[in-house]
Amino acid sequence: MAVAVRTIPAEARIVADAGVRRRRFIDGLATVVLWGLGVSVIVMLACFVIYLFYLGSSAISWQFLTGSPQETTAGGGIGPEIYNSFYILVLTLIFTVPIALAAGIYLQEYARPGLFRSIVQFSAESLATVPSIVMGLFGLLVFVYYFHWGFSALGGAVTLTLLNLPALMRVTQEALSSVPDSLREASMGLGATRWQTIYRTVLPSAIGRLTTGVVLIAGRIFGETAALIFTAGLSVSANHPYELNPMRSAETLAIHLWYTHSESIVPDVDRIGNGSALVLLVMVLIFNISARVGGRALTKRFTGRSS
Amino acid sequence: MIAVQAKRSHTIERVAIWVLRAAAAFVIASIAALLLYLCYEGSKTFTADGLPVWQFLFTSDFDPTAKKGGAAIFIVGTIVVTLFALVIGGPFGIAVGAFLSEIAPPRMAAVLKPAIEVLVGIPSVVYGWLGLRLLVPFLREHTSSASGFGLAAAGIVLSIMILPTVISLSEDAFRSLPGALREGSMALGSTRWQTMVRVLLPSASSGLTVAIILGMARAIGETLAVQMVLGNATQFANGLFAPTAALTTEIVIDMPGAAQGSFLEHELFSMALFLLLMAMSLILLVRFVLRKRV
Repeated sequence: MAVAVRTIPAEARIVADAGVRRRRFIDGLATVVLWGLGVSVIVMLACFVIYLFYLGSSAISWQFLTGSPQETTAGGGIGPEIYNSFYILVLTLIFTVPIALAAGIYLQEYARPGLFRSIVQFSAESLATVPSIVMGLFGLLVFVYYFHWGFSALGGAVTLTLLNLPALMRVTQEALSSVPDSLREASMGLGATRWQTIYRTVLPSAIGRLTTGVVLIAGRIFGETAALIFTAGLSVSANHPYELNPMRSAETLAIHLWYTHSESIVPDVDRIGNGSALVLLVMVLIFNISARVGGRALTKRFTGRSS
Repeated sequence: MIAVQAKRSHTIERVAIWVLRAAAAFVIASIAALLLYLCYEGSKTFTADGLPVWQFLFTSDFDPTAKKGGAAIFIVGTIVVTLFALVIGGPFGIAVGAFLSEIAPPRMAAVLKPAIEVLVGIPSVVYGWLGLRLLVPFLREHTSSASGFGLAAAGIVLSIMILPTVISLSEDAFRSLPGALREGSMALGSTRWQTMVRVLLPSASSGLTVAIILGMARAIGETLAVQMVLGNATQFANGLFAPTAALTTEIVIDMPGAAQGSFLEHELFSMALFLLLMAMSLILLVRFVLRKRV
């Protein structure tokens, strides 16, 4: 069958060429703009980091990092606040990790689709949207008013547990779902029970991702504020700033930064704020880097795979 | 011997199931307790103190000592600040999400993604502090604002804070689209930009809606960063640069001085309840959007 080949008139070709050129130009422009936006996110973060270092580096000294805060005079340090931040972080992780792991394992490995599972899932989603300040007020009602604990590190830690449970459950579920089913089948095929399979096969394969997730969430707990103001309180322990007792009030570093700025009357607010902000930022960077490095190392150690 | 061992494994198996189930039940119990407690405590304004609900929602007469509890200023403040953040952070976040999914080479993604994760990790107070030191002085110098504190400052800080949520969710939305869509569009002669705007954007719309809604949920509940730059004046903002107040900021400022059982305390719990209901209705909205897609 012969096809009539018609030559395209010259003027039509010019129009088509112009259209193509215009489209190519727009496409190129869009690519440049999108690259620019992507790069701007990195530049923005870099600016924040540099600026915080610029502000804070002069405030940081050994005395500032270890000294006690002052109520009315200049020269206060943030030693007890740093201690409290870590204290509440550890306490929170002790509660959060087992519960979130268990609930995550249940949802991912055991639960069959059904009413109970959808209720758990919906509860976790709802819990995830509860604003931090609302969780703080709930903690105030339950731990301060109802249990009469007063402002306490324990109350703060339990409040933070509720706040971070859904995120860690999601991390667990995602880590478990990344483990291929062939591993489960092989383990069960050798006669292992479901729990043995999870404990000896699935969890070790997922440990890298789990660790990364836990450490990233730990970073978030470290800097949490709104949920702690009305549960852990705005002051460090009266008896001894480095007390181990979980029932005393425990102002963390992040709260101290806010409190100093908005409520306190010390003359060197800027110095304390700059220094505290820098310490918080450095902690976030440390948590992020160690999450990556640690997760990768554990994955390699337990599975032999590199990622 | 083997029978004993098998029996033991069987027992462990059953114990394990119940422990795991208990943990899952704990999640349900937590949210149930939270809802019940806040509903109970938050409704006292309307029951014990007899404030009509419409007055709480629609009047702006806020004077707790005279038992006047109009919260409209704070409700409007929360909504306006959130919208401000979405107008900037929404398109920006979706664009960067599209860039990550469609354009960024692996090397670029290997820098950008960790950067986004650090942005997630930076504490709210540090954002507030940055806003205070960078943004507020800038707005004071270059805009009509007298102090620099106000709606614009809070909106810009918030837009940066919701950016990571919007970016990563919209990247997921673009990535989940089948490659055939791109190939089909390209084969018909579209450029990459045309493919993105005319094919991928409409196809990913429900995922992108979810990204925006969850960004909104984050913005609504944000407290300290907003409190530090919003100006905290009990008035409607009469311009983009005017100071105002929001639900979260009012709670954090007034709660320490509110006596247990006082009208002010009840009022603040009502605000918290309203905030919670707003956030939870967003979750229902997400469910609705996702269900419609399937």
